[in-house]
Amino acid sequence: MSEPAKSRIQLPLEAFPEGAVPLESIISTQELRNRPSRPPEYEKENGALVALASALADSPPTILQTLADKVLELLHADSAGLSLLTKDEKRFYWAAVAGAWRPLAGADAPRNFGPCGDVLDRNVPTLFSHWERRYPYLSWAMPLADEGLLVPFYVSGKAVGTIWAVAHDERRKFDAEDLRLLERMSRFASAAYQTVKFIENLRLEIAARERAESEVRELANGLETQVRARTQELERSTRELLVTNSKLEKEIAERKLVEERLLQEERELKRSEAFLAEAQRLSSTGSFWWRVATDDIIWSEEAYRIFEFDRGTPITLERILTRVHPEDVKVFHETADRARRTGSDFECQYRLLMSDRSVKHLQVIAHGNPDQSGRPEYLGAVQDVTERRLSEEALNKLRSELAHVARVTSLGTLTASIAHEVNQPLSGIITNASTCLRMLDDEPPNVEGARETARRTIRDGNRASEVITRLRALFGKKAATQESLDLNEAIREVIALLLSELRRNGVILRTDLADDLPPVAGDRVQLQQVVLNLLLNASEAMSGVEDRPRQLVVKTERDGVDRVRLSVQDSGMGVDPLELERLFETFYTTKNGGMGIGLSVSRSIIESHQGGLWAAPNDGPGATFAFSIPLGPDRPAPLEQP
Amino acid sequence: MTTTWPLVSVVDDDESVRESLPDLLRQFGFAVQAFSSAEEFLDSECVRETRCLILDVAMPGMSGPELQRELTLRRREIPIVFITAHRDDSIRPRMLEQGAVECLFKPFSDTALLEAVNTALGVD
Repeated sequence: MSEPAKSRIQLPLEAFPEGAVPLESIISTQELRNRPSRPPEYEKENGALVALASALADSPPTILQTLADKVLELLHADSAGLSLLTKDEKRFYWAAVAGAWRPLAGADAPRNFGPCGDVLDRNVPTLFSHWERRYPYLSWAMPLADEGLLVPFYVSGKAVGTIWAVAHDERRKFDAEDLRLLERMSRFASAAYQTVKFIENLRLEIAARERAESEVRELANGLETQVRARTQELERSTRELLVTNSKLEKEIAERKLVEERLLQEERELKRSEAFLAEAQRLSSTGSFWWRVATDDIIWSEEAYRIFEFDRGTPITLERILTRVHPEDVKVFHETADRARRTGSDFECQYRLLMSDRSVKHLQVIAHGNPDQSGRPEYLGAVQDVTERRLSEEALNKLRSELAHVARVTSLGTLTASIAHEVNQPLSGIITNASTCLRMLDDEPPNVEGARETARRTIRDGNRASEVITRLRALFGKKAATQESLDLNEAIREVIALLLSELRRNGVILRTDLADDLPPVAGDRVQLQQVVLNLLLNASEAMSGVEDRPRQLVVKTERDGVDRVRLSVQDSGMGVDPLELERLFETFYTTKNGGMGIGLSVSRSIIESHQGGLWAAPNDGPGATFAFSIPLGPDRPAPLEQP
Repeated sequence: MTTTWPLVSVVDDDESVRESLPDLLRQFGFAVQAFSSAEEFLDSECVRETRCLILDVAMPGMSGPELQRELTLRRREIPIVFITAHRDDSIRPRMLEQGAVECLFKPFSDTALLEAVNTALGVD
């Protein structure tokens, strides 16, 4: 039964006042038996019980009130009610009140200071009369109770409250029948109490359960929400993780790529470093870096090699100077000083004098840039051009030899050409002298004419003399030699001489030199002269060609078992087959200002080598000139020039 | 000697020949014209009047033998005396075979020349 809210109606509480009457003086239970008992009203009693039973069934929450009403009715009381012990058993709570005291429903009173407590203590139905004499606070409950009949009721053997009836009119006195009825009602009260309690408990339980359920539901809802939220969170996290993961994977992949690229770049860098080092070695070119402000110098490996310093040893200008050729020290200083001052690019050549007294020729090129402080910084290359110098010198020598041979023709051809050159002025001399004599023989002598012809004679004599002088100069004495030689090599030397000339003429040169060409015997310089003539002729023959490549093919090959052949094929104007042989005549020329002597001399030289020189038109444009000479490593004696 | 002096023409690219030879021929009593090339001679009036041609073998442009063939084609049968500074023994027989009156190697004597020209002119 729900605890009352702290007394809606508070009866004034008082301790026992001075002179409060003893309990016995307010109890008059004995009188019940002495009073005449009114007859039972069974029909009314049954009706009340049925009403109570149906109330119990139909509306349990109002059963206590119904009970109070029925007590009032059956006992013809002025007020009736039920008082229930509170859970803490310190007070009584007036759970239901009917009749005059109805407004007092919900009031409460002390457990140990009132009639209800007395009834429970005594554990018997008790009749009180004017209880306000002992319990003054009850005088506040108006109208005053003349008599009060209280019956305890029990649940499971324990007293839990009282059911009571009050008479305010002193004419109404309770009797034994009233007691019987109230006792009967009290049993019903017990059942009702239990029912109500049960219902109450049930309701509480249900409420609690509902609360619990709702809490559970809420909790569940919360959980669901939480789970949902958590799930969403998880899904989000998962998505984020996936995204992050894929990002990471991508990043890893990218990083791998970057690493690979770096590795690749490193490899390439290493390779290019290797290439560079190799290229520097092959080209005998070292590189250097020179910061003018601090005179810091860094060298590449090849630079160390060129200067023959131990790799990695510190380099200073002073150290470099120990190697510079004494004659070039001045140039070196001048170049360095100018570089310091101007910071501009420089290029210079100087020599080194090595410890073994050998000389190296160096070519230096450097590019200047200002450093952070504005002082110049140089990056440069130093190349050992010694070999080039030497080969240039050798080449020059060879060139002059060839130039010499270009003037020297074989004696057989020379006989005719010298004779021709000399015979022309000789012819003039003789004719003029003859004329002169005849004029002098005239009658009268034609002195003036004779003088004129004599002058011409002298002039032609001088001219003949000049021719002789010129011929002697042109054909300086040079003995033919005989040696075993590699024709390919001889040809390559000639080509080397001619490359720039051919380039200038827009000639595309293709060489097809047989690898297994055996050596030939002969005069190297003379054979080179022939090759030179053939190449120059071919180049010149193509000078007018504009509608096709100016292609020149130089080819060597075995010719039968005991000869080798060189052919020079051009894509020039070609030659008339009918003219072919005349090409080799001493003064024949198809060219304006051409020497013409080349081909005849060439043929003469080749013939002196027991070979043959010929020309043939190509299938396509141009002509091919070729010679064939015997192999001759064991040719016994040097050839005499014809 | 004839009353009308026959025209002898000299064709040679060598200037000293063109200077000296006409004087000698005039000394012999001939009328002389000198030309520096075959083409120049062909273009001149003298082609018809020339009784004897003294012709260099090797010249730039049209050579002596080529001029000879050209004259034959034009039916100008002029007696020719070849002269050459290129001494080749095979040349003379070849030239004579091809209708030359004579082939003289430079330098030649005045008498050899006169003899050849007279032969050309049919004068004994």
